[in-house]
Amino acid sequence: MITYLKLFLEFFHIGLFSFGGGYATLPFLYHIADVQKWYTTKQLTDMIAVSSITPGPVGVNVATFAGYTTAGLAGAFIATTAVILPSLILIIIISKLLEQFRHNKYVKSVIYTLKPAGCGLLAAVGVNMFINSINLFGIVLLVGLFIASITEKRDPLFYLGVSALVGLIAGFFNLTG
Amino acid sequence: MEKTLYQIFKTFFKVGTLLLGGGYVILPLLQSEIVDKKQWINDDELCEYYALSQSVPGIIAANTAIFVGYKLKKTPGAIVATLGIVMPAFISIILIAKILEEFVKMQFIQSIFWGVGIGVVLLIYLAVKEMWEKSVVDKFSCWIFFITFILSTCFKAPPSALIILAIFIGLWVQYQKKIEHEEEE
Repeated sequence: MITYLKLFLEFFHIGLFSFGGGYATLPFLYHIADVQKWYTTKQLTDMIAVSSITPGPVGVNVATFAGYTTAGLAGAFIATTAVILPSLILIIIISKLLEQFRHNKYVKSVIYTLKPAGCGLLAAVGVNMFINSINLFGIVLLVGLFIASITEKRDPLFYLGVSALVGLIAGFFNLTG
Repeated sequence: MEKTLYQIFKTFFKVGTLLLGGGYVILPLLQSEIVDKKQWINDDELCEYYALSQSVPGIIAANTAIFVGYKLKKTPGAIVATLGIVMPAFISIILIAKILEEFVKMQFIQSIFWGVGIGVVLLIYLAVKEMWEKSVVDKFSCWIFFITFILSTCFKAPPSALIILAIFIGLWVQYQKKIEHEEEE
């Protein structure tokens, strides 16, 4: 019971504090791996990989997955509900006060400082993931993907598909270790 | 088409199922489903909700769904839109997580994850780049970016502490402006 309550509070807090989209939940999930030890960083990296290639917003997928890993089906349900609840409550309130919200100077100023902070947090996760999972061949793959991304704007699934395929092939030649 | 709660749920369930590889495709999907096909709202309204969704905490795709759901049928609309967008994600993870426990130790699955992990690093880079263009508009916001980045990478500062700090800085900036403004008068 205590685990469920803790799970609810942790994910409610993620829903309330993550700014900048689905991947913005990742800094919080890594922090949980460090502090609560419900899952390891390696497990989380696998969860992110699966979440990126399954239907639904990545932030919801990864919350469901982390909840499931921590406490099974009930955990998945609690984590998903908790991560979405702050958005639901806040947006219903904001929609009622839409005009005031849009023109309030303090709201504008807070958004002005929150956006770069959310961006900085996400950049930190990117750098950590890069350091943790990369080897020489990984750098080759990443550079390849990077070049593909600057030549043309492509669907995210294109990068994930290509990198999954390259990973599969590289695995046969033991290049992924 | 009629805006019943069931229709709203069904539409967002469909959009949720088609959301692959990150929530960033929510805008084109909603444009085709609720602006072009069903004509529930117009393009300007949708773009505004999408922009607002980024100024509210949480997952942007879900936030957009909640805004649109509320616009269509007030609070019940917001609730069914949320259920619709979340359920495909929930169901697919529950199904996959069970199977995955068996397969995760297999070498070829680990190889695929390794590859996808690198793909995700690129997607994060692209997301950061897009956010940077929208958020780092002057020297001050650039400082906030780097301070957050360094506190997070080097000192493992809790993310929510950094977000709260940013909120206070935002309030302080506006408070200072207000004081300056009053002094001028």
